[in-house]
Amino acid sequence: MVGADSYQARQGGNSMKFRIAKEAFLDGLQQVQHVVSSRTTLPILSNVLIEAGDEGLRLTTTDLDVGVSGTAKAEVSKPGATTLPVKRLVNIIRELPSAEIEVSVDNKNVASIKSGPSFFKIIGLPDGEFPPLASFDDAKEYKIPQAIFRNGLKKTSYAISTDETRYVLNGIFTSFKEGKLTLVATDGRRLAMVDHELEFPSSHEVDFIVPTKAVQELQRLLSTEGDLMLKLSDNQVCFEIGASIIVSKLIEGNYPNYRQVIPGESKERLTLSREQLLETTRRVSLLSSEKSNSVKLTFGQNQVDVMANSPDIGEANETLEVKYDGKQFSIAFNPEFLMAPLKNLEEDEVHLDLIDEMSPGVLRTEDAFLYVLMPMRVTG
Amino acid sequence: MEGYYNAREEEHEANKSAGETWGKIRSKLSEYISADAFSRWFKNADLINADEQDGIVGVQSDMHQIWIETNYMDELRAAFAEGAGIHCSPRIVVKGEEIELPEEEVKQAARKARAGGQVKVVTPDTSAKEVAFERRLKRVGINPELDFESFVVGDNSQFAHAACSAVAHQEGRNFNPLFIHGGAGLGKTHLMSAVAQQLLSGNPKAKVVFLTAEHFANEFIEAVRKGNLDAFRKAYRHADAMLIDDIQFLAGKERTQDEFFHTFNSLLNSQTQLILTCDCPASEIQTLEPRLISRFESGLTVELQPPGFEIRVAILRRKMEQWKVELDNNIVVHIANQIKSNVRRLEGALTRVASYSFLSPDNMSIEKVDELLGDLVRDENTNLITVEQIQKMVVDYYGLNLSDMTSRRRPARIAFPRQIAMYLSRQLTKLSLVDIGEVFGKRDHGTIIHACKKVKADMESSSEVRASVEKLTASLERQI
Repeated sequence: MVGADSYQARQGGNSMKFRIAKEAFLDGLQQVQHVVSSRTTLPILSNVLIEAGDEGLRLTTTDLDVGVSGTAKAEVSKPGATTLPVKRLVNIIRELPSAEIEVSVDNKNVASIKSGPSFFKIIGLPDGEFPPLASFDDAKEYKIPQAIFRNGLKKTSYAISTDETRYVLNGIFTSFKEGKLTLVATDGRRLAMVDHELEFPSSHEVDFIVPTKAVQELQRLLSTEGDLMLKLSDNQVCFEIGASIIVSKLIEGNYPNYRQVIPGESKERLTLSREQLLETTRRVSLLSSEKSNSVKLTFGQNQVDVMANSPDIGEANETLEVKYDGKQFSIAFNPEFLMAPLKNLEEDEVHLDLIDEMSPGVLRTEDAFLYVLMPMRVTG
Repeated sequence: MEGYYNAREEEHEANKSAGETWGKIRSKLSEYISADAFSRWFKNADLINADEQDGIVGVQSDMHQIWIETNYMDELRAAFAEGAGIHCSPRIVVKGEEIELPEEEVKQAARKARAGGQVKVVTPDTSAKEVAFERRLKRVGINPELDFESFVVGDNSQFAHAACSAVAHQEGRNFNPLFIHGGAGLGKTHLMSAVAQQLLSGNPKAKVVFLTAEHFANEFIEAVRKGNLDAFRKAYRHADAMLIDDIQFLAGKERTQDEFFHTFNSLLNSQTQLILTCDCPASEIQTLEPRLISRFESGLTVELQPPGFEIRVAILRRKMEQWKVELDNNIVVHIANQIKSNVRRLEGALTRVASYSFLSPDNMSIEKVDELLGDLVRDENTNLITVEQIQKMVVDYYGLNLSDMTSRRRPARIAFPRQIAMYLSRQLTKLSLVDIGEVFGKRDHGTIIHACKKVKADMESSSEVRASVEKLTASLERQI
């Protein structure tokens, strides 16, 4: 981002002045405010860096692990930079009565905000104290259609582990190998994986782990059109999405060999309507007991019975019609884990591959999506 | 530490028959889980250790470890019990990482890890052994950074440090139990962790139990609820060393104290090393059974004092070296001057100043430091309320003479304010009961306990008393 560099390099006078539409300012701030944590040891990290230049505003926040930067259109009459407490600023801007806002900042970083009849003064901190985002000068670059990346994150991110003792699993494993972009997330009970063919030079084969927080920011900013530019340095990654930038540290360490988890040949395959399976599971799971928290799927001639019961409350049962003439057996899954991929897929049909009641089930779509789910013990 | 030598012999015996035992466990296991899962996860697994209380299974990759730990522990536990009669929670380790490490190597690994900064960097070229040792420490619940090397010894902690070091090198057989007490953030947990690390690096298979008293209580309650007290007892009464943090938490938990008492005795009888930490001397833990107090005091009791100025500076310097930050000498001295009570807070202060100076090195000044440390310094000062101030405030409030605070006269209009002053002294200063008794006309510490109880009870029953106490507390805190 040439624009960003020139913004950051500007160390000129601290006073600045601009006019901006309320909605534009609010949108811009909301794009970047999520990385700011409410509890931070350094006051500057609660602030948003506002840089006003000829092209408008650039807004940047960081928690030192993840940084987000975006733009907002504004009429700048005096270029400059300052930092202001972002949460407070958002609350103020949201409540302002008029659609137009005038902001001026003096050389002591005190911002005056005028909108219609109201006037606010907030005290900021010098822009020089704001930690700069890492630069990616000699980085490897990858061009990825946004739709593909967004889709891949959506289909995998729900399986990220939140167990901090296994920190390598607290992110999405991202691999550029053999002409494919592969995204993987697992928490030890399930594993979600998406493959997509992608062109990149063979010298760029690499894999790394993107932490959860950066994944969340990405999901906020990615759209379905256009490309994103991924830049990779030793331990940091940068995503450029239009005029917005996300910079994140990578999780250090080796991602475990996830291929060992994927079962080999399956014995039975069912093709189910995704929506139907989702709705049925959601309804039936209303009566799954807190203790076992499972729904049982029983496969018979051309039908699947989905059942749940809790001893003191009652039971639920629903029958799905499917094409099936394999052996009769039952398998139990955690309903949340079964529903998670179904909610995040778009395909009409999903395939469920099974071996027996104790082996993991595999959910696949026609696309290169795969979800391994450990069964729960069937009691009784 | 005879426990260790015995454990080693047993272990040797166990290893000889390990192959046989593993065969039995495997065949049970294959009944419990599907053939596919068995061949996928357990085909190449080995039994690394199995004795009465402990089973270690080696697997070939970290994914095996993760998947087995999340999905097959119940089955594995059952297979150990049914196949080999071993009732334990088996541990899963990645093969090649569990090799015993010569002590020097461990130290080097730890040093290397520290030099890399406070963030644990696990790169492929860090040797698997280091990772394994750290992982083992983490499993026991020990922060690998808290070792003897990183502890700054000063007058305030010399004796405690020496005692712990002796215990860690198994020279201090008579120091059992070792009771470490001292205020918050003075290094009790640090010393105890250091001992545990030393014991583990000396003998990686040693069963070191390291937990907080709260954890002990919770597990005990859970065990009572589930009705498997036997397993609970087994888990703790067969430890080679048991280290319990924040023992004051047991105050007022009678049944837990009872269980703890028996665990404690059985460990002491088998000459297992015990180390306890507490934020006050054993005798001052309120509502702790006398028999426990006397047990705690039967070994060696050491105290950690707040560090003196020089030590505080030394601690700051050490931290700066570790974090690779540089600060002006007068800034370091200034921090050490401002934060006196507590090492943890001292480190927190340094973190703030260091990260600020990292981000904007040019703006560093004493004034800036004051601004950054504002709330810490304010907190710091609340600890400096003196009994004299309290007495003065109470005397003014009730219109008495200062001599009434120390006199033996006991009409209610004097005795009750005096009790309030004692209560406030207990709440707002860090003095011990004995010390407080001393300033109130050489009274017994029992008198102070009685006063505290009485005022507490009166505060609950009378809003007038409550209001007075709150008013006094507020104005005392304002005065600082």
